[in-house]
Amino acid sequence: MRWTKLGLVFDLRAHPLPFGSGGFAQSPQALVLDDRVRIFFSTRSREPDGLYLSHVAFVDMRKDLSAVLGVAHRPVIAAGDLGTFDEHGIFPMNVLRHDGVVYGYTTGWSRRVSVPVETGIGLAVSRDEGLSFERHGAGPVLSATLNEPFLVADGFVRVIDGLFHMWYIFGTAWSAAGAGAAPERVYKIGHATSADGIAWTKEEGRRIVADRLGPEEAQALPCVFDSGTRRHMLFCYREPVGFRTDPGRGYRIGHAWSDDLVDWTRDDAVLPLAGTPGEWDADMQCYPHVFTCEGTTYLLYNGNAFGRFGFGAARLDP
Amino acid sequence: MYFSCRPDADAKGQYVSYSAYVDLDRQHLFKVRAVAEEPILPLGGTGTFDEFGVYPVSVIRTDEEVRAYYAGWTRCVSVPFNTAIGCAVSRDGGRRFERLGPGPILPYSPDEPFVMSGPKVRRFGGTWYLFYIAGSAWKRVEGRAEPVYRIRMATSPDGLTWTKANRDLIPPRIEADEAQASPDVFEAGGRYHMYFCYRYSTGFRSRERGYRIGYAWSTDLVSWTRDDARCGIDVSEEGWDAQMISYPHVFTVDGRTYLAYLGNEVGRGGFGLAALDGAFD
Repeated sequence: MRWTKLGLVFDLRAHPLPFGSGGFAQSPQALVLDDRVRIFFSTRSREPDGLYLSHVAFVDMRKDLSAVLGVAHRPVIAAGDLGTFDEHGIFPMNVLRHDGVVYGYTTGWSRRVSVPVETGIGLAVSRDEGLSFERHGAGPVLSATLNEPFLVADGFVRVIDGLFHMWYIFGTAWSAAGAGAAPERVYKIGHATSADGIAWTKEEGRRIVADRLGPEEAQALPCVFDSGTRRHMLFCYREPVGFRTDPGRGYRIGHAWSDDLVDWTRDDAVLPLAGTPGEWDADMQCYPHVFTCEGTTYLLYNGNAFGRFGFGAARLDP
Repeated sequence: MYFSCRPDADAKGQYVSYSAYVDLDRQHLFKVRAVAEEPILPLGGTGTFDEFGVYPVSVIRTDEEVRAYYAGWTRCVSVPFNTAIGCAVSRDGGRRFERLGPGPILPYSPDEPFVMSGPKVRRFGGTWYLFYIAGSAWKRVEGRAEPVYRIRMATSPDGLTWTKANRDLIPPRIEADEAQASPDVFEAGGRYHMYFCYRYSTGFRSRERGYRIGYAWSTDLVSWTRDDARCGIDVSEEGWDAQMISYPHVFTVDGRTYLAYLGNEVGRGGFGLAALDGAFD
């Protein structure tokens, strides 16, 4: 599998958003329209208390990602109500066409006292090609359960042979807070299925992708696509601590493949996508998303500083 | 008798809750035989749903075990807390319990977004029933965030995998945002009976607007007819239960039926009992 890098295809400094803080375009995810590709991402505003809050926005691009056609003028989904699972932001959102509408699977954030946050996966529906979304209820469609006790997040949904599949992550550990340091989290990739995309059955704690960095490896944002006769999964992974500042411990993009959607074989070497020295993705590569448009398969991803300046792309060589 | 209790508040005035039990003499329920020497379950680990409280608890016997369904408490930033329902099992007759897992047994869902609490577990026929409350909104009341919640139900073949009914079982009576709690259901005289408690959403620390015990009946456990006038108990003129009565639990011992409940200040001084006169009709 060979990818040709297209560079930082969406640079926020050249295309600032008319809201938010002017920074971050994280976890780009594509919805292909007739004449353009609408790429959703999360951007941030800064709260009066200094904390960030993530909003979902989009950029419209030409179908070969060669030019920006426009950006969202406002978040596509309103903030959650008091006490709800997504009250303190949505990051990321995965979009899926189904039955004439667009399903948005959101990861909602709410703040906690002993740990920074808890998350859950919600569903929001758009009937205007992604310009605006309405929540399917105030609560999540996927959240903590017996053996997935917290931090259910990063849902990616596909319908395969009439069955909804969701790949997502769940937390396995919060470390105890050290002196002056917040607790850090470990999460792993899981899988659930559904007949309608709303009521889901989890595999309940099964970690479907093997660790490469040991049991403390954090795995995030799975996405599944077909190439050849196989299913391929891209995700990002990192060390549990030091990942924000030490390029040697930050996010990299990992890979696994499956022939039956049950057993996944990890093989990161299949995906030679190292950072380019001195470039926007030199220190970090994260939040991968693969989509196909007019016969060409693209990879969207974030680079240094978790996508502070925008996102980039690569094209799969035929 | 299982109940929940609190150590003194911490430096910030916040409580944690534990659950424990008291053994009462079967012939003389006012004679205390023993109390638990330690909580039946420790608090949950960092970041879990029950890190700051295990309260309240409802128990049921299975073949070899006693299973406890309980509400776990965590602390939030924009609202004071959230709760979810967990499950633990005892193999020593109900003294000590172990969690089935670190997470909740009943997840939040689009129609039950937060504050799932007050579980009461029952078996009727071959089916397990969980009656509980789920929050529908957080309201700002006198400067505090207060949840509005309603009585809900889920069913299960084994007590582990639950299917939610996704509907409010009991309509509000005293106001639209009436809070309802502690839905305790039992079967007698060919019907199902539910005792619960309810209060106003504001000013509920006063006698006039505080908790009272409500009543509803059903023939199918799904459709309920509320008829509080038939609950047969109200606050006393004076004494430990003159300000409020709440958190009802109905049980039968050696042919007599009792109602255990909390009084003033939601059980600060303990809990009380009432005995059923006559039969249920």
